[in-house]
Amino acid sequence: MAKFIVIGERISTTAPSINKALTERDPEPIVKRAKEQIAAGAAYIDVNIGPAESDGEERMKWAVQLIQSECDNIPLALDTSNAKAIEAGISVYNRSKGKPIVNSADAGDRIGYIDLAAANDAICIALCSKGVVAADNDERMAFLQEMLERGLGLGMEAEDLWFDPLFLVIKGMQDKQMDILEAIKMISDMGLNTTGGLSNNSNGMPKELRQIFDSNLLAMAIMNGFTSAIVNPNDKRLMETVRVTDIIRNEVLYADSCLDDLN
Amino acid sequence: MAFKPASQKFNATINQVEIGSGDKKITLGGECTLPFYTFDAEIPNAPKVGVELTDLGIDETLPGLKEFYAGAATVAEQAAKAATMEGADFISIRFEGADPNGENKSVDECVEIAKAVADATDMPLVICGCKNAEKDADLFNKIAEALAGKNVLFLAAKEENYKTVGASAGLAYNQKVGAESAVDINLAKQLNVVLGQLGVKNETIVMNVGTATAGYGFEYVVSTMDRVKAAALSQNDAALQMPIMTPIASETYNVKEAIVSEEDFPEWGDRETRAIDMEITTAAACLASGSNAVILKHPASVATISKMIKELV
Amino acid sequence: MALKGLDIFKLTPKTNCKECGNPTCMAFSMKVAQGAAQLDACPHITDDVKAQLAEATAPPMKTIKVGEHQLGGETVLCRHEKTFVSKTLYAVAINDAMDDATVDAKLEGVKKVDYDRIGERMYVEFLYVKHEDGVDGAKFVDLVKKAAGLSRNLILEVEDADLAKQAAAVAGGDCIINGATPANFEAMSAAATEAKAVLGVKAGSLDELYDTVAAIEKLGNKNLVLDATADTIKATFENVVQIRRAALKNNDRTFGYPTIVKVGKLAKDDDKMQMALASLFTVKYGSIVVMQDMTYAQALPVFGLRQNVFTDPQKPMTVEPGIYPINGATPDDICATTVDFALTYFVVSGELERSGKPVNLLISDAGGMSVLTAWAAGKLSASTIAKFFEEQDIAGKINNRKLIIPGKVAVLKGEIEAKLPDWEIIVAPNEAVQLVKFMKDL
Repeated sequence: MAKFIVIGERISTTAPSINKALTERDPEPIVKRAKEQIAAGAAYIDVNIGPAESDGEERMKWAVQLIQSECDNIPLALDTSNAKAIEAGISVYNRSKGKPIVNSADAGDRIGYIDLAAANDAICIALCSKGVVAADNDERMAFLQEMLERGLGLGMEAEDLWFDPLFLVIKGMQDKQMDILEAIKMISDMGLNTTGGLSNNSNGMPKELRQIFDSNLLAMAIMNGFTSAIVNPNDKRLMETVRVTDIIRNEVLYADSCLDDLN
Repeated sequence: MAFKPASQKFNATINQVEIGSGDKKITLGGECTLPFYTFDAEIPNAPKVGVELTDLGIDETLPGLKEFYAGAATVAEQAAKAATMEGADFISIRFEGADPNGENKSVDECVEIAKAVADATDMPLVICGCKNAEKDADLFNKIAEALAGKNVLFLAAKEENYKTVGASAGLAYNQKVGAESAVDINLAKQLNVVLGQLGVKNETIVMNVGTATAGYGFEYVVSTMDRVKAAALSQNDAALQMPIMTPIASETYNVKEAIVSEEDFPEWGDRETRAIDMEITTAAACLASGSNAVILKHPASVATISKMIKELV
Repeated sequence: MALKGLDIFKLTPKTNCKECGNPTCMAFSMKVAQGAAQLDACPHITDDVKAQLAEATAPPMKTIKVGEHQLGGETVLCRHEKTFVSKTLYAVAINDAMDDATVDAKLEGVKKVDYDRIGERMYVEFLYVKHEDGVDGAKFVDLVKKAAGLSRNLILEVEDADLAKQAAAVAGGDCIINGATPANFEAMSAAATEAKAVLGVKAGSLDELYDTVAAIEKLGNKNLVLDATADTIKATFENVVQIRRAALKNNDRTFGYPTIVKVGKLAKDDDKMQMALASLFTVKYGSIVVMQDMTYAQALPVFGLRQNVFTDPQKPMTVEPGIYPINGATPDDICATTVDFALTYFVVSGELERSGKPVNLLISDAGGMSVLTAWAAGKLSASTIAKFFEEQDIAGKINNRKLIIPGKVAVLKGEIEAKLPDWEIIVAPNEAVQLVKFMKDL
């Protein structure tokens, strides 16, 4: 066991200001968001440059070097469907604070990302799906097995595959939530690491409810052995849950002031 | 099939804290390994050994100690003598006499002693209080002012007086602040956190996480230090990465094994030998568990522990 | 050590043939890890693999028995994680080049240190008897015979297999033959096996030691201890830590054995250094610590330290309930009472001793808790004290009728007076350090 790992999700092309900064190579908004996330407790920063089919390689290299040079070589998750852009990012990546994460492979078309991670000694996020979401946990675990075998066959350490059970939206798939939690438990019992975009559960909910649902689901997932998540570290309620569960799991020592610096 | 050693090298480091100034200045901490695990990584600053003096003078019931300090009548003279002790890295003055329930010496009187000591030796100094939190706060404040620039360590701020001690010794006079907790790891962390909130920098804090004499609840010391080092190194907990200084003599000379006379316990043999062996045993155990510095009284203990450290680092 | 599902999965054929009744090999592996399925349910797992799994689940460090003593069997590197199971044991060294008077003095010294501390017998458990180069073997055997007379288990330091056998035959009980080296291990292992003795293994480096242990294990002998003593203190410390860590952290069973550390030899003739090293290796992983002597001055701190370090973190150390006369107290002297938590007892009795006043310290069963905790849990109340007085017949054994109670439970004064109407109840200060003054002023 170890401290829960927060992968900060806020550098993403889905945010218009970030998309603009990435396109125009404007460092300021990107560095600012990276620093905000690190200050709030992110151990990794996800760098989602979008599909970036035309200038993906240059874009990723620029972003990796920018963020690492400004933020003490913080480890990064390289997030794009452009595999060449990921490789380009890794080529300029500084490993002194941790391996890069390849985001992400699945058991279908994107299984080649495992090969990419193996070839570059990277961590790989592996989505337990094959094009479509798994129908049940038997299928989810079968996908996991395919990806695990592939990684191990390529010489990867099992701990470098972070399996994402794929969180489902509560408004629409409320009856599947316990399946996801059970999957986390099964993966954890295997001794494997997990991750995921946890806030997907609260998509479509009123803003004031999202943080409450995210933080409670996170506590339940951590209870089942969840080891990391791709989330917004500037969500105070969520980070309280991360802090408190780290303490309850005896990964961080308690002190009366343990939440003082969360604002 | 060759032996593959397991390593416990960590990516975190214990803070380096300097005490004293000039040639004799010492640095505590700086390691990224468990105590004496030089085979995992180099230990840049070997643990240090301090000499315990008190304003009440030398315990003359111990012949060896009496002989060592023969002719040194004042605390300042004793400090000058202690500075020549083989293996001594720093000097600690404990103002036992300031205790309102004891001799209740005035703060001014103690300040004069501290000044005289600082004039008599260029060894780094550690100032210990009388265990009365209120008096200590006042005492530390005045001594910090009087010894400005000497980079003295005050051992220590406690839960009851950390605000005053942190503000005066740590902030106003730029000295080093000790943070003392009685074998309670959560309180140890909390004290460091709140000192940080006051503005005292982590790099100016030394912890005293408490101690006990070997045989007298020492298991709590081992476990507290094991857990402090685990949090500092494997969990990279910045609020516990302060080096640890452990006063030994102030504990070990108060237990039965070091007190009772040979007449009363003939089979136990010479009292001074017993006191030294108790001091050495406790000091070695503290160092093995994580102390970055120990404070000892007897020249034989100082020489032995210092030699052991040199052998191990 | 429990295996994770992944470790088992790696050994399955990974074909998802479903013959075991599970949809995937992964699902099957998880059930086996949880104990919900047996490995035998998979028809494709070979005996070799089963043997591998059995080996992987065996304890990482062997428990070695010598007479009534137990060495090793540890599962954690820090006591707070669980508990240390086999305490460090101590030996005093003699050799066959010493003259009779020296040997007699050493043996006499060993005999003298034998006392009880909180229910634990404190004594030197082993005699370490060394055969020096160039000394006649018969002299060694005679020395072993003499040492056996002390009824301690013996560690025989001898590298000649025949001499080891002769010595073990007169050792008067289970012994350790500390004599296997990379050069002689086959003969020594045979000798130890024949003598039903534990074999001590030593070598010039950790690598050599590792290979020698592996070779001896191949001969079928797994009744071993490892002599970790090197030429320097630093190298010895490294050996002891590396051996323990390899076993517990890396699950490397070749080093899953207890260690011997000869601190007397390392300290050369410096008995203060020997004291420091005895402490160091008691805290850090020495199974048997060999000293040149064990005087009371040395025994009191190091046995006390050991008792602390090896106490179970889940169970507080307690002292036996009863009457403890302090400073030569007689039945006519005043009484004081406190709880049975060992630390409280030591602090309170220490301060009472310092006061110089005769007092009968009465210890009642408070479940090993400190005063306030015991009071809060109902383990220290007027009723428990009254019950203790009745069970121990305090009124019959003590003539004085004054009882001092801890300041922290001053609230009990009235209730105790009601339960023990003949007694005058006096409330002590809150802190033990104030006891000296309090007793003197009484």
